[in-house]
Amino acid sequence: MDTLAQLANGFGVALTPMNLVWSFTGVVLGTAIGVLPGLGPALTIALLLPITYKVDATGVFILFAGIYYGAMYGGSTTSILLNTPGESASIITSLEGNKMARRGRGGAALATAAIGSFVAGTVGTLGLTFVAPIVVDFALKFGPAEYFSLMILAFVTVSAVLGNSAIRGLTSLFFGIWLGLIGIDLQTGQARFTFGILELLDGVNVIVVAVGLFAVGETLYLAARHRYGRDEILPVKDSLWMTREDWARSWKAWFRGAAIGFPIGAMPAGGAEVPTFLSYYVEKKLSKKPEEFGHGAIEGVAGPEAANNASAAGVLVPMLTLGLPTSATAAIMLSALQSYGINPGPQLLMTQANLVWGLIASLYIGNVMLLVLNLPLVGLWVKILAIPAPLLYGGILVFATIGTYGISQSPIDLILLYAIGGIGFLMRKYDFPTAPVIIGMILGPLAEQEFRRAMTIAQGDVTVLVTRPLSLTLLVLAALAVLSPYIYRWWTRARS
Amino acid sequence: MWTRRDMLMASLAGSTALVAGAGLSGRVLAQAIDTLQIFVPAAPGGGWDQTGRTIEAVLKANKQINAAQVTNVGGAGGAVGLPQFVNQWKGRPNSIMVAGMVMVGALIANKSPVNLSQTLPLARLTGEFEVVVVPGPSPHKDMKSLVEQLKKDVGSVSWAGGSAGGTDHILVGMICQSQGLDPKKAAYVAFAGGGPAQAALLGNQVTCGVSGWGEFSEQVKAGKLRALAISSDKRVPGLDVPTLKEQGIDVELFNWRGVFAPPGVTDAEREKLTKMVEAMANSQAWKDELQKRDWMGILLTGKAYEDYIKSENVRIEAILKNLGLA
Amino acid sequence: MREGSAGAIAVAVGVVTVGIVVGWQTTLIPMTPAYAKVGPKVFPTMVSASLILLGLTLLWQAWAGRWRAEAEGEASPTDWRALGWLGFGLVFNVALIGLLGFILASTVLFASVARAFGSRKTARDLAIAFVFAMVCYLGFARVLGINMGAGLLESFL
Repeated sequence: MDTLAQLANGFGVALTPMNLVWSFTGVVLGTAIGVLPGLGPALTIALLLPITYKVDATGVFILFAGIYYGAMYGGSTTSILLNTPGESASIITSLEGNKMARRGRGGAALATAAIGSFVAGTVGTLGLTFVAPIVVDFALKFGPAEYFSLMILAFVTVSAVLGNSAIRGLTSLFFGIWLGLIGIDLQTGQARFTFGILELLDGVNVIVVAVGLFAVGETLYLAARHRYGRDEILPVKDSLWMTREDWARSWKAWFRGAAIGFPIGAMPAGGAEVPTFLSYYVEKKLSKKPEEFGHGAIEGVAGPEAANNASAAGVLVPMLTLGLPTSATAAIMLSALQSYGINPGPQLLMTQANLVWGLIASLYIGNVMLLVLNLPLVGLWVKILAIPAPLLYGGILVFATIGTYGISQSPIDLILLYAIGGIGFLMRKYDFPTAPVIIGMILGPLAEQEFRRAMTIAQGDVTVLVTRPLSLTLLVLAALAVLSPYIYRWWTRARS
Repeated sequence: MWTRRDMLMASLAGSTALVAGAGLSGRVLAQAIDTLQIFVPAAPGGGWDQTGRTIEAVLKANKQINAAQVTNVGGAGGAVGLPQFVNQWKGRPNSIMVAGMVMVGALIANKSPVNLSQTLPLARLTGEFEVVVVPGPSPHKDMKSLVEQLKKDVGSVSWAGGSAGGTDHILVGMICQSQGLDPKKAAYVAFAGGGPAQAALLGNQVTCGVSGWGEFSEQVKAGKLRALAISSDKRVPGLDVPTLKEQGIDVELFNWRGVFAPPGVTDAEREKLTKMVEAMANSQAWKDELQKRDWMGILLTGKAYEDYIKSENVRIEAILKNLGLA
Repeated sequence: MREGSAGAIAVAVGVVTVGIVVGWQTTLIPMTPAYAKVGPKVFPTMVSASLILLGLTLLWQAWAGRWRAEAEGEASPTDWRALGWLGFGLVFNVALIGLLGFILASTVLFASVARAFGSRKTARDLAIAFVFAMVCYLGFARVLGINMGAGLLESFL
């Protein structure tokens, strides 16, 4: 009951006219930058960090949360109509969504993505409101050994996005892991792969790599085959109303996606990528029409989109209750919190009740705004994509420049951005998937650090990974994920 | 490490600044300082950035300056920013850099070609003590029992803290050293900062944790972590935490922050900036900020501060060597 | 050998080279203190070995003509002129953003990207680019107070 009272108090904060304006500005801005390929919420919030010196903390966080949720909605529009994921979590949406749009089912894809985002966003926010303390208690039991086992599980599920060729997918993955290893080693303070460049000591910024691959690389690729690919932005030919069959195939996927997305997002090191992959994997396995996957299956849009939004709410759980950022966006939001001199941590809910509950309440409000903004007005957002290609991509590259140069004013970062862009171009040309690079970059160093932490704590005893029950459970799950196709095949063969 | 060429360049830059300054001097001297340039060799949001922004706010509130512009050049504990401050900001009037102990360590560990002695120290402003904490359920009630376990088997005590070679790691090294143990053998588990280290402590995954008091204070107040010792020379008023010295560990450490002027500015310019910072540090607005942010005011200026920087360099280099990092 | 597999072979050789460079750089990571039970070289060594192995497999696939680029990939010829314009814009930007400042460097970048995408209205593009860069600069540098660096025009604004 205390929670409900707090939430009511939060609505009191979020419904003040000024905070409603912040929320509205956030969701509009978020949707717009989500729609534009190459601009993600992390980048946008990073660019907006300086307003923390001019606006009060509650307003700023309501704005940021609006951007965060809005970008998830907008990202799906681009993934479906342009096949250019705005951020790594909507890569999966583009797999099936873009195929649907190519088959003239863009409207249905957009609708299932938007409604699914709303459903899962609301479920996720409910989870954030009520389940947070329980999830946190569970997540707190995780030590480095468990985190490492969790990474193993995550790496196993990455195979879902390796693309046409496992060899090329793995090459991308290991390239990403290597990029992630660049910089000072946290455990020993030794510089690795910095080639004597001081700027590389802090590592390669994942935002630079993501923007390089997705914005610069994509621009290079599209320019190189420009005359052959003028029709990249797909028109919405069908109605936005989903058919009865669409609803039947979507609603379970939404809830399954939310059920996968929220807990994984809430788990430290969860993030948004893993649950979207997992959801896709699950929907593919459960679908009555698995043959449609890869050619535009609606569950393949509904599930991952829902998982994406639910995980966005989940990521806020460790961020708000423990002060632990589990995604780039959360990390940037936390640094904004710290610039107000507010210490994130378990006390935050007590000491900054208005801020936290106002933020949570604004998420409910923002979600409704987003559904209204996105579904009927999708035509308006698509207009952003109708900007002539020469101007759109010109603008994107200038924005990409601001995102890197404006933060560090370091030519090294610009060179890195363009170099990664060149690599992204080659990867697109020779059909290497780009998503595993980002996954490897995020998960690789995490896995390494957690493994080494676990070993230091256990004084070099590798068996901790299997003697700790939680860790063992995660490893068994990972083994099952690897073996289940074989077991399933063996089982069906044995039965017949 | 001043080479003849550097000296020449510095004096050249200094005289250029003088010439350039002459034309402006009328306007500049009329009002204390029009626009203060604040160089922060860290990304926005961190401790140095907060210090820089607070300096800006207090100076403005005191009407000591009209405006300020903050430039952030983050990376490698300041090792990326410092060369820029030393080279590109050389001789610039009305400019200060915020830095601190972390930079001294980062420069040594990264074998940086530039160091803080190439800047002109103005004043040490704030400090934060380090605290040793254990998880709530831990059997350790004081440093004595922790040290006993440490002496029995160094590797069995796992320490959570910030990145290797940082303030937290240095304190662990000093504690081990004071007990006659090899600091290299301490099972130090590095996290990306006090926040992430907290999670391992709250989950009772490590024996103990080391970080700035501000990082753990909330949890200690909530009773989820127990503070065993603080790294100050004497007890901090209002804090019921014994010092390391009280418990027979002759170690004292605090993470200080201060301001520096770029090389090549005139003595008069340096004097003016020092006066400005001193006046600020003694103002009520600054004291209110210290209170609000849990910072400790430890003002030190002039020759004493310059000597302090030199001694810190020597002390930290020795510890990092013993940790195998320098 | 199929048409276009020369490029594939080059890419495979590139992957092997990256693997070798990673391995070579790993040997340069300094000796580490004793407390780290697993040192900083373990994962890099694994990454290096994996990249070399994957690169060799790719090389074999490319050589045997088994590199099936199922997506559009190699099917469409590359428009080198477009890439040239883009490359020019990027290199120009990196080289001169410090000297000319954000606005002018971005104007040129924008216009060369537009050119790469087939626009022939260079004067119009330059005008739009200039206004766009100006608005960006004013928005980020003046309203939000981000330091976008100095430059020819920036000093006058």
